[in-house]
Amino acid sequence: MIKKITNTPLTPAVLHILLALSTEERHGYGIMKQVKSESQGKVKMGPGTLYGSLGRMMEAGLIRESDKRVDRELDDERRVYYKLTKHGQAALAAELERYRAVVALARKKQLAPGSFAYGT
Amino acid sequence: MEPDPLIRRYRNWYTHLLRLYPKAHRERFGEGMEQTFNDLCRERGAAEGGLFSFVVWMFVETSAGILRENGRTIVMQNKSIVRIALVTGCILLVPLLGNLLMGWHWHPIAFPLWGALLFGTGLTYELIAKKGGTIAYRAAVGIACATGFVLVFINAAAGIIGDGPVNVMYLGVLAVGFIGALIARFQPRGMSLALFATAVAQMLVPVIALAIWKAGWQALLTDPNSPHPPFHPGIAPVFALNTVFVMLFVGSAMLFRRASASTD
Repeated sequence: MIKKITNTPLTPAVLHILLALSTEERHGYGIMKQVKSESQGKVKMGPGTLYGSLGRMMEAGLIRESDKRVDRELDDERRVYYKLTKHGQAALAAELERYRAVVALARKKQLAPGSFAYGT
Repeated sequence: MEPDPLIRRYRNWYTHLLRLYPKAHRERFGEGMEQTFNDLCRERGAAEGGLFSFVVWMFVETSAGILRENGRTIVMQNKSIVRIALVTGCILLVPLLGNLLMGWHWHPIAFPLWGALLFGTGLTYELIAKKGGTIAYRAAVGIACATGFVLVFINAAAGIIGDGPVNVMYLGVLAVGFIGALIARFQPRGMSLALFATAVAQMLVPVIALAIWKAGWQALLTDPNSPHPPFHPGIAPVFALNTVFVMLFVGSAMLFRRASASTD
C-alpha cells in the first residue's frame, strides 16, 4: 500500500490537506482555513471536496481521526480532528521530493516563469 | 454580520442536502460537514461578504460531492458483485469440465442451484464483512460463511449422518447462526456469541440423532431404500466430522471475540 501511495502523484486537494495536517491535528474547518492561507487563497475547497478527500485518504491510510474535542476559538460543538499517519508522512515526503526533482530540472534548464516558449 | 437565525436556517437546509450522501459517508462525515458549513457561513457573515451566493456555491459544490460519492459507492458495490460472480463461475467450471471430460454426472439443475448458493455465500460474506473493518472480523465472517457452505454441500451431496431426513437438522444449525447474527446486528461481540451457539447446535445434532437411533426411530435416520445402516459410515467418523465443523464455528467465534476486543 505504502509503495503504491508513494509512487503515485497526489491530487492537489490531497497534497494541500497533507500539508495542512503536517504541522498539527486539525478539524475540517481548520484544514480549510490552513489550505486557504497556505495557498494564498488560490485553492478553493468546499465541504464536498474536503470530506470526499478525507474519506479516500482515510481509506488509503494517509490520515486518521484523532479525538473529538471542542475548539474554544469557535464554539462549544465537539469536532473530529484529523492527523497524519506514518503512511501519510511518507506519501507527503515522496510528493515533495517529486516536486523538488521537477524544480531542480527546471533550474538546470534555466527555466523561469515567463522565460520559455516552444519554438523560440 | 448576518443574523444567526439565517445561518441556522441555511444549516438546516444543508443537513437535508447531506441526507443524499451514501449512508456510510453520511454517518462518518455528516456532523463534521454540517459544522464546517456552519463555520464557513459564520466566517463569511462576519466578513460581510455575499453570504447567499457563498451558500449557493457550497450547495452546488456539495451536490457535486454527493454525485461523486454515490457513483463511487455504486461502482464499488458492483465491483464486489462482479468479483463474486467470477469466482462462482470459476468454481462451477470444475464440475462442468468434469461432466464434459471426465464422465461426471452433475445434473443440469445442479449448476444454477449451486451457483446460487455459492453466489449467495459470497454476497453474504461481502455484505457482513464490510460492517467490520478489522482483519479478524473479516476472517471470522469468511470462516463462518465457508463452513456453512461446506455443511450444506456435504449434506446435499451425501448426508453427514447417513442419508435420512435427520440431516435436515443441520439447516437448524445454520438458522441458529443466521438468527443470532441478526439479533447481534452483526456487532462482533454478539456475533461471537451467535457463532458459539452455532457450534453448540452443531455438536447437538449427532447427539440427538444418536438418541433417535437408540429410541428406534430408524425411518428418521435412513432412507427406506438405502443400502446403508444408520450412522453410515460409523458413529466415530460422524462425530469426528461434526467436531471439525464445531471447531471451525468456534474458531470463527474466537476471531469475532478478538475483533470485539480490538474495537472496544
